[in-house]
Amino acid sequence: MRRWIVLSLLFGSVASPASAQEAESLRRELGELRRQLDTMKDTYQKAIDTLTERLKRIESAPQPATAAPTLAAPTPPLALQAPQAPAQTPSTPLDLARPRQPFSLYERRGPGSLLFDIGIVSDLVANLTQDNVDKADAGTFFGRENRAFPREVEINLYGRIDPYAQGTVRFEFAEEFEDGARATEAHLAEAYFSLLSLPYGFKLSLGQQPVRFGLLSHLHREALPQTDTPNVLLRFLGEEQLRETGGELSWVPPLPFYLEALAGVFTGDNETAFGRGSLKAPLVNGRLRTFFELGDLGAIQLGVSRATGETAARLRQTLAGYDVKYKLTPEAWRHPLLTLGSEGLWSRRRVEELEDVDGDGEVEGFRHTRDRFGWYAYGEVQPWKRWAGGVRYDSTQLLELPGREWAIQPYVTFMLSDFLRFRLGYKHTERDRREPFTANDATARTVDELFFQATFFLGAHAPHPF
Amino acid sequence: MKQRPRIRTGLVLAAALLAAAVGGADARSKVRVVASITDLKALTEVIGGDLVDVDALARGTQNAHDVEIRPSLMLKLRHADLVVRNGLGLDFWLDQLLAGAHNAQIMPGAPGYVDASRGIDVIPTSGPIDRSRGDVHPEGDPHYTLDPANARVITANVVEGLKRVAPQHAAAFDQRRADFLARLDAAVTRWQKTLEPFRGAKVITYHETFNYFLRRFGLVLGGAVEDRPGIPPSPGHLSALIRTIREAQIRVIMAEPFADRRAVDLVARDSGVRALTLPSSVGGAKGVDTYLDLFEHNVGALAAALGGRRG
Repeated sequence: MRRWIVLSLLFGSVASPASAQEAESLRRELGELRRQLDTMKDTYQKAIDTLTERLKRIESAPQPATAAPTLAAPTPPLALQAPQAPAQTPSTPLDLARPRQPFSLYERRGPGSLLFDIGIVSDLVANLTQDNVDKADAGTFFGRENRAFPREVEINLYGRIDPYAQGTVRFEFAEEFEDGARATEAHLAEAYFSLLSLPYGFKLSLGQQPVRFGLLSHLHREALPQTDTPNVLLRFLGEEQLRETGGELSWVPPLPFYLEALAGVFTGDNETAFGRGSLKAPLVNGRLRTFFELGDLGAIQLGVSRATGETAARLRQTLAGYDVKYKLTPEAWRHPLLTLGSEGLWSRRRVEELEDVDGDGEVEGFRHTRDRFGWYAYGEVQPWKRWAGGVRYDSTQLLELPGREWAIQPYVTFMLSDFLRFRLGYKHTERDRREPFTANDATARTVDELFFQATFFLGAHAPHPF
Repeated sequence: MKQRPRIRTGLVLAAALLAAAVGGADARSKVRVVASITDLKALTEVIGGDLVDVDALARGTQNAHDVEIRPSLMLKLRHADLVVRNGLGLDFWLDQLLAGAHNAQIMPGAPGYVDASRGIDVIPTSGPIDRSRGDVHPEGDPHYTLDPANARVITANVVEGLKRVAPQHAAAFDQRRADFLARLDAAVTRWQKTLEPFRGAKVITYHETFNYFLRRFGLVLGGAVEDRPGIPPSPGHLSALIRTIREAQIRVIMAEPFADRRAVDLVARDSGVRALTLPSSVGGAKGVDTYLDLFEHNVGALAAALGGRRG
């Protein structure tokens, strides 16, 4: 035992100087760390001072408040430091004619964001009909009877171009039937820009764009209230409707009620109604549209349109139309309960036919005016957010050939969300003549069709207008 | 020759309309303001008083996400000197209305354009942002007007805009704002005291509209009747929500005026909670005519429901 005590004392006497050395080392290290901490504190203090100075500069700059609010905080001085705009003086025509102040670019965009929106719409359609209709290519979807096909897949790009204008570009992919063959075609459907800062409330759109004639012809097909285009629009304007290159000037005068007036000049490429395709004999379009709220729940839109141009045969074609749309939306509803719409088109077309006018046996060119008329009306109820149902009635003459047709189409729409929609419709069509609908040894005076439509939206999708 | 009277009539009509366009601008004495939602209208009215004439695009009872592009709304904007928007994606439809309004004065970046969300401490959208989660807001929760503390930033933005278009009234706008904020501070202290006993209590909402309100008053979101934002609830989701309510002893469902009452009533009936229809905007209920009314109403109704017996 004694030996262990002696050994311990010996070990302790040896270890003590080592501990003292270690303590001294630790003290040195601590001192060094303290110096480093002081240096860091200085560095951080300088950084804080710099940032504080920057913050003060930013806060005193002419920008709206940027600090997160607390109730206990005093009133931010920013509101008091707002830049003083020039005193409001009456606008003279000269003032209004001057170029506008440049607008800032779309300010909500954050870093890493695109400066424009991209949206994709896919509209798939399937239809079933009788064999004779299929054989005669005489269904609503000409040449694509008894098929499921992508009617329209759109890639939409839109946004502000610069402080003065916004632009839209739309590419379209669709299965088309031409010269007896089906093919999926891609083409540029729209590419135009609109100047938004013109004086006196004018707006100018230039480029390839939908011509605003009537209620539905300028809408994309997925935005139509039924699966198909109304018969009168199909017969008078063709499947592509009026997509033209040119310019449209529109104006909303500062009246107590809404009135939009527009006029457009276009090339006139539409082959069904016009087709001259030259600015020397342009398609000239005009439209007046007004709108009234009927109490708290109802609203009605009324419009008249006129378009005149030349056909490929260099003969005058004039279209005139009326349109009306009514919606009833109960208080606090997120969708209308009732929608009613109607549109009528008149066509006055100069045509040249070969005829033995004076009975001498010689066929001569004979020009005359051909008047045609067609209309449609529809009603839709939407008692629930997801479900809507309606019916459309069509009655129209054919644009060039003699004859008329009428049709009735009940349909039901199911919207799983705002971005996915299904529609089922049945259409019965009666025609008064066989000739225009006879081909491939088949004819189709009576047509029964079942439509199925599925539409989805990816990315940005602008809300549809009234 | 027959065309002449028609042309003359057209020219006279066009001249009259043009005269109305030019002359109409000078006939105004008040600043004409259009706000995208009624809360912003109410706040602008407080600041502007009789110097402004304010209109709103969305109604107080309406879901501000779902405003239709109506020409009548474009007409309001056509006449406006100033537009005040909520921003953060709530009033995304305003861009289309502005494009149709033919009024360069109020386009984004122009003097008559105010985004009231600038400077707001936004509640961020958590998790991945895609539509599998419903109609989520990539820019964060846009319902910031439901935190009364945010009125300080909102009114600063509005005053800034008003001063740009009517600088001669700058002092009046500042004074009105200061007066209003003093009243608001006192009211918020009172409201916080009213809801203090329920701090930490869980509530259910229909749409996730009230997050800012809950954060301000120390309440906790226990779930939403909507499956995902903008998506109607599925039966499975409602069953799960009912279980959650029972397990967590939640007392109240806060439903907006535009909520699907069938779903709300179903959950309330099967879980035994009280369903309150609370305005999410000024004008959303009878008697809720001002910004202060909105919180007086909601705080009072919520305190009564949370303090009452369950079921």
